[in-house]
Amino acid sequence: MKFCVCIKQVPDVTAPIQIRDGALSMDAGRVVLNAYDASAVEEALILTDGTDGEVDVVLIGPEKATETIRKALAMGAGRGTHLVIPEGTELDSGAVSHILSRNFEGHTYDVILTGKQAQDTDAGLVGGMLAERLGLPYATNAVGLAIEGDQLVVTRQGDTGQEIIALPTPCLVTCSNDMNNPRIPNLKGVMGAKKKPVDSTPLAEIPRSTIRVLSYEPLPSRAPGRFIEGEPAEQVAELVGLLELS
Amino acid sequence: MSTILTYVAIQNGSPSRASLEVLSHARQLAQAGSGVCAAVVLAPGASGVANELARYGAQKVFAVNHPAFSRHLNTPVVAGLEAAIAQARPSLLVFPSSEGVKDVLGALAVRTGAAVLPDVASFVVKDGGVEALRPVMAAKFMARTRAEGDLVLVSVRSGSYEASEAPTETTVEEVAFSMDESTLRQTLREIVGSTAGAVDLVDAQVVVAAGRGVKDEVGKQLVEELASVLGAAIGSSRAVVESGMFAATAQIGQTGKVVSPDLYIGVGISGAIQHVAGMSNSRTIVAINTNPDAPIFDVATYGIVGDLYKVLPILIEEIKKKAVVVA
Ligand SMILES: Cc1cc2nc3c(=O)[nH]c(=O)nc-3n(C[C@H](O)[C@H](O)[C@H](O)COP(=O)(O)OP(=O)(O)OC[C@H]3O[C@@H](n4cnc5c(N)ncnc54)[C@H](O)[C@@H]3O)c2cc1C
Ligand SMILES: Nc1ncnc2c1ncn2[C@@H]1O[C@H](COP(=O)(O)O)[C@@H](O)[C@H]1O
Repeated sequence: MKFCVCIKQVPDVTAPIQIRDGALSMDAGRVVLNAYDASAVEEALILTDGTDGEVDVVLIGPEKATETIRKALAMGAGRGTHLVIPEGTELDSGAVSHILSRNFEGHTYDVILTGKQAQDTDAGLVGGMLAERLGLPYATNAVGLAIEGDQLVVTRQGDTGQEIIALPTPCLVTCSNDMNNPRIPNLKGVMGAKKKPVDSTPLAEIPRSTIRVLSYEPLPSRAPGRFIEGEPAEQVAELVGLLELS
Repeated sequence: MSTILTYVAIQNGSPSRASLEVLSHARQLAQAGSGVCAAVVLAPGASGVANELARYGAQKVFAVNHPAFSRHLNTPVVAGLEAAIAQARPSLLVFPSSEGVKDVLGALAVRTGAAVLPDVASFVVKDGGVEALRPVMAAKFMARTRAEGDLVLVSVRSGSYEASEAPTETTVEEVAFSMDESTLRQTLREIVGSTAGAVDLVDAQVVVAAGRGVKDEVGKQLVEELASVLGAAIGSSRAVVESGMFAATAQIGQTGKVVSPDLYIGVGISGAIQHVAGMSNSRTIVAINTNPDAPIFDVATYGIVGDLYKVLPILIEEIKKKAVVVA
């Protein structure tokens, strides 16, 4: 089967990030492949391993985001498409899905994978939006995928259990990081990735975003807590007393 | 007059707590803007919950009665909501955020041309648009985010608002809906590891959450017993879901669920940013961890530095004693 995985470059949320004048300032500047997308790439590689299947990746992002495409290629993806936007362009999920849907016109992928959400915005919309624009059946929050003939069987983490859903191809699935542990590219992979094709095109037209971030703010702070000291029996006695009051 | 429509999810035959929280906020917004507070229910026998929704202020209930909604599949839900929107013509459609809702929100937005604000912590109607605070960067920050459009969809994180009653007269409007099975293009084969019927983690008032510090069956039983004496739901970190010790439905955090109980007790959980993202809105947080530097203590109301295998047996006994005294 032919897979295409939509991947996003995101700031590393565990790096120091501060707010300055309502904007995020990421001096550390660390960027990573969105963890959920890494799991999607991994799963596509597992499913096509030893078959004549293919795994492509597509990314919308500024020039410097090519490194994230190379990361996916180093994991084992075959070719990359980079839709280049100017540095600092803000796109909401609607605009991203719009651009991606135009990109998929004229392609014949059996399965399109996305992450279940972008780690930075936690929006979780692009997958469903893209499926709707392309008229594809889809499933979200997948924790397992299997190929059965020309169907894709998705194990989806639902609210009260795991739903096993069969989809005909072509289809779209959004992936959870609970699906697998993405491989760390080895040196051979990294070297090989440099020679793999990346088709890079500047986007002529950038669709309007309907969602705008006005400012970033710190979280409302919690009242400071305290440690309960002593031996376990004393700690428990004090805790139970405190919980009865609150 | 504009209509604010609330999507009400049905759990074990009744509206979920998260739905009633969202409905209560929608009612206050409708009152403030002299609009109509309405609810939409997709379920077989949907009209049966109309009286309960009226208690929370729903002046109209749009009932999409169909057996297709007895189990979750995205195609029927998107189509059902599309039909309800066409009939109710709301300016705002509000959802309690859940995996079921996340499964349909994007597709529904494109289908109906709506703007969408997912997973917000709070929102208001302002200057002809909707302004929301959304946790971003693994809930390290809030993004003040604005959406404009004839229809705006908003999903709200559980525990963001209090459910409050405000009884009103209500009318039920049935929404015509049919589903041709052959156009579904998806088959739900089975649901495994179902926790339906148990205390729902998201709705629970008390949560006991287990992490990698819970190393074996003995530890797991201690966690289960503590949850049982407290009447709590069991949550977990990703680490113990990965190891297979706890079900993925129990996972709390960025990948998992958002909980906001009155009392959260974290046992052997380090408090990684992605876990805290799903529980920092809990009212009282108790952390039990051997490592005094564990980041979970930064958000804890009460911290106990100690071995869970020593602390939990005593805690369970003490709570049992109290329960006897109360009874
Ligand atoms: C994109 C992304 C999304 C993620 N989403 C989630 C999510 O939704 N939920 C989630 O939980 N994680 C999530 N994670 C994983 C997260 O980063 C952590 O790896 C995870 O939360 C760690 O789980 P833990 O605290 O149980 O384990 P650890 O970090 O290993 O902590 C175990 C703790 O137990 C303590 N301990 C050990 N023995 C004892 C004892 N006898 N008594 C008491 N304490 C003891 C230790 O001191 C330690 O602090 C995500 C990660 C990524 C990258
Ligand atoms: N700029 C982008 N380029 C390619 N894919 C993206 C981009 N932004 C988001 N996606 C995909 O859409 C998923 C969900 O994103 P979101 O709806 O923004 O949370 C991500 O996990 C990616 O798979």
